[in-house]
Amino acid sequence: MSFLGPIALTTWLWIAGGAAALAVSAYIIKMRRRRFEVPFSRLWKRVLEQKDANALWKQLKRLISLLFILLILGIILFAALDPTLGAVSRDARSVVVLVDASASMTAKDGDEAGAKTRLAIAKEKTKQLIDSMGGGDLALIMKVDGQATPMSRFSNDAPMLNKIVDGITASDTPADLTRALGAAADALRDRPNPLIVLISDGAFPEQQLGLAAWTKAAAPPPQAGKATSAAAWNAKNLAAVDLSGIDVRYIPVGRRSDNVGIIAFNVRRYIANKAAYEVYVELQNFGTEPARRKLKISNGSNPVDTQLLELAPGQRVHKIYAKLPASDDNKLRAALQPVEGPNGSDPFPLDDEAYALLPARTKQKVLMVTEDNLFLEGALLVYDNVEPLKVTPAEYDRNPSVADGMDVVVFDEHTPAVLPPPPASLLFFHPQGETSPFKIAGETQNPRVTEIDEGHPVMRWVSMSDVYMDKSSRFAVDAKKGESVLAYGVRDALIVAKRDGKRKMLAFGFSLPSTGRDGATDLPMRVAFPMLLVNTLDWFAGDTTDLLTTYTTGERQRVPLDGVVGATEAEVKGPDGALTKTPVIDGLATFYAPKVGYYDLTAKTPEGKPLAQIELAANLASTTESDIAPSTELTLGGKKLEAPEAFKITRSQKLWIYLVLLAMGLILVEWITYHRRITV
Amino acid sequence: MVGPAISGAFKAVVGKTAPDKRKNRAEDRSELFDERFLKTLEHLHMVSRKVFAGALRAERRTRKVGSGIEFADHRTYSRGDDFRYIDWNLYGRLDKLLLRLFEEEEDLHIYILVDVSDSMSIGSPLPKLHYAMQVGAALTYVGLANLDRVAIIPFADRIMDRLPPARGKNRIFRVFDFLRKCDIGGQTQLAECMKTFVTQNKRRGLAVVISDFYDPDGFEQGINTLRYNKFEPFVLQVYDKREAEPNLHGDLALVDCETGDTKEVTISRSLLEAYTREHEKYCQELEAYCTKYALPFFRTHTSIPFDELVLKIFRSGGFLR
Repeated sequence: MSFLGPIALTTWLWIAGGAAALAVSAYIIKMRRRRFEVPFSRLWKRVLEQKDANALWKQLKRLISLLFILLILGIILFAALDPTLGAVSRDARSVVVLVDASASMTAKDGDEAGAKTRLAIAKEKTKQLIDSMGGGDLALIMKVDGQATPMSRFSNDAPMLNKIVDGITASDTPADLTRALGAAADALRDRPNPLIVLISDGAFPEQQLGLAAWTKAAAPPPQAGKATSAAAWNAKNLAAVDLSGIDVRYIPVGRRSDNVGIIAFNVRRYIANKAAYEVYVELQNFGTEPARRKLKISNGSNPVDTQLLELAPGQRVHKIYAKLPASDDNKLRAALQPVEGPNGSDPFPLDDEAYALLPARTKQKVLMVTEDNLFLEGALLVYDNVEPLKVTPAEYDRNPSVADGMDVVVFDEHTPAVLPPPPASLLFFHPQGETSPFKIAGETQNPRVTEIDEGHPVMRWVSMSDVYMDKSSRFAVDAKKGESVLAYGVRDALIVAKRDGKRKMLAFGFSLPSTGRDGATDLPMRVAFPMLLVNTLDWFAGDTTDLLTTYTTGERQRVPLDGVVGATEAEVKGPDGALTKTPVIDGLATFYAPKVGYYDLTAKTPEGKPLAQIELAANLASTTESDIAPSTELTLGGKKLEAPEAFKITRSQKLWIYLVLLAMGLILVEWITYHRRITV
Repeated sequence: MVGPAISGAFKAVVGKTAPDKRKNRAEDRSELFDERFLKTLEHLHMVSRKVFAGALRAERRTRKVGSGIEFADHRTYSRGDDFRYIDWNLYGRLDKLLLRLFEEEEDLHIYILVDVSDSMSIGSPLPKLHYAMQVGAALTYVGLANLDRVAIIPFADRIMDRLPPARGKNRIFRVFDFLRKCDIGGQTQLAECMKTFVTQNKRRGLAVVISDFYDPDGFEQGINTLRYNKFEPFVLQVYDKREAEPNLHGDLALVDCETGDTKEVTISRSLLEAYTREHEKYCQELEAYCTKYALPFFRTHTSIPFDELVLKIFRSGGFLR
């Protein structure tokens, strides 16, 4: 035991002596009593004479009372010395407890019976850690999943911290250790005796485990010219978490390593035949024993395929289900089901299910405003997803309402005075005059396509390098109006596109070959032409073939919301029905999936009117998380992390609070006995 | 003489002490006998007449055999007796000279002895003294109305004063006046006072002693003095409920209001219980004494209305015979 009190021992002795003398004096000095008049004191005398028979006991009681007071005084003075049990650590510690709440922590192998999850055990160990803290130690609880979430402030209030720990729930996301360590290091900056305790199963990517620096980074290399060495320095030092001066400890949880999980699951429609789709599923046995599972693929409530799989240790299997016919339900689900017998099941159910969504299929009504053009009509006729209709330019001009209800209107060599009303999207071939939706800057003879915007959905998989054209209009593109150039002839804008409110427009500066036209191009003879048309119609419909609807949990994604203008916020409905808000910037919504399942993302106007809605699926799809084998040892930035000794952070135990409580208890006893006239 | 002056000055500065307040309260007897009290007395008188209707008339019969009209007894003739009272019929039958005796009618003397010592000034809400005076006045009124001769004698360590025996209802106002103005205070010395009383009053009669009987020398000697001198003691003990069951706590210096004796005590529940038992024992000693000598005894506390007590006395028949 040691004493850390701020009072010098001699001073303490003086105070103790003075207080004791005061207490004894108070007992010796005769108290002035309240006078009370009685009519006949003889009766009192007779009573007191009987009582005086116990005078010795009375004196003894007074002595006991005095000793009692001296004992209370002694305890209080002893507490003032701040007695501390065990080894003394004068400096209190600042502890950040990182509780891994990632997907792998839901594995039910926390205890022998498999009744508790790893997270439950991690929470128990966290509470043990909190309970073993000394009086001066401060702890902050941080939940680690795809994000790093501080659950408390630095506090030594053990009951409050324990309550916070109880409230931690696991996410279906991989753990972002780097982010968590960075946040913990920031929280511990300039705090005395910093300590990070990581309670986890150690399921972190190798790359994250390498991003830790135990010493201050040296200055960057002076040779500015050597770009490669500077980049290497940046990659190594800037990305690494600075853990210099911080003691990091590791408490492992988890027991089993046998697990078979789905690590990839996706679905897509065929570009040419959107009525059919194909499914890709990939799974792996992460255990060290052969495993047997039943894989079931279903589309809504309709089973697609069920098969029994036998996987060798570590074996990864991928399967493609091709040319599957579409049904009304666009939701696909892959499930690994346990089978009877040994190695037929595993403790980690989260990766046994995966979800995917079939992109929406739309059949567009396309109105062609053209004199007979075989190339255009032929290209559209081979495309399954359109209902083509044709009128001549003269008919259109006479009755523009013919375009009402159309999804797309194609103007071939004709620029109408009145454009069809939105939301019909418009495709122009060689627009001319003042009524052209894109301003014409002039005309170029024999232009060559020198550059295309490969990032635009219309130009995806299209090659126009050898396309010939006699002449083409040059467009004066105004980027402020949202106009963009899809194909340049040197510097001339030959193909342009823009989004006009809810609809889209695209214009080719050149004409398609047709009878009676002098300017011509060989584009319709090339593979690129039908591809261009299909891409254009898909872009108009918002059906981009590269639109992903299946994401992994724990990653922040930007999801395009087609046609969204003016919305700054979208509503996300999670698999559990919970509603959250997410920002929308430039038509892109930020999407973060904390749970596996289906999500509904709806963009609304400030008045609450729905603008666009998209369904998304989120899967764990993480080999790091599915590989549930617990790491009993963890090496971070090249340094092996030690376990905290017997969960003791500060090995000292402050006694003053207990002494004060004891003194208060004794004062209470004294008060009761005095007022009950037991010690009088 | 300097001491009391200094003491008085000191009291003037620090304010009146508790005994002063008590005494002042006891001395203020201006509203003790008001209109309402008088009405209560009249009511008591009416009730008393109903209670004893047929059994009693206004006059009292003494045991003294004399020249009354109602036959009482015979006795053997002796020389010098009046021949007129010889019962000749009996002489004829028994051949013995027997004299007829008749009850002689005479006025009854009632002495109301009221304790006005300091201990009687204690009591809440009504000092015992006031209660005793009201009871005394009520008994006096009934006595006067029954044409008895009633005297009132306040006493403490001596006979403080004396209202001579009188009869007739109209005398009650003098009684009130006397009780309002008589001196009070001092220690209780029952024996001494009774000795003086019997010396001063040769006509025997009913001696109603109204007191708390808190006499350090005991109550026996005083009452015995009355008995030995052929008075008929009528004992009426008055006490305050709070002095029987005091509600005290803490460390106190108990001061005897008569003797000034001080005793330091720390009040505990057991001590209070012991005191209550002791008080009860003392009262029972007094009662046992009276029972032993066939003396009428009543014990009352000041919470019982005085008229109730008086009626109780009437019903017992101890006072009016």
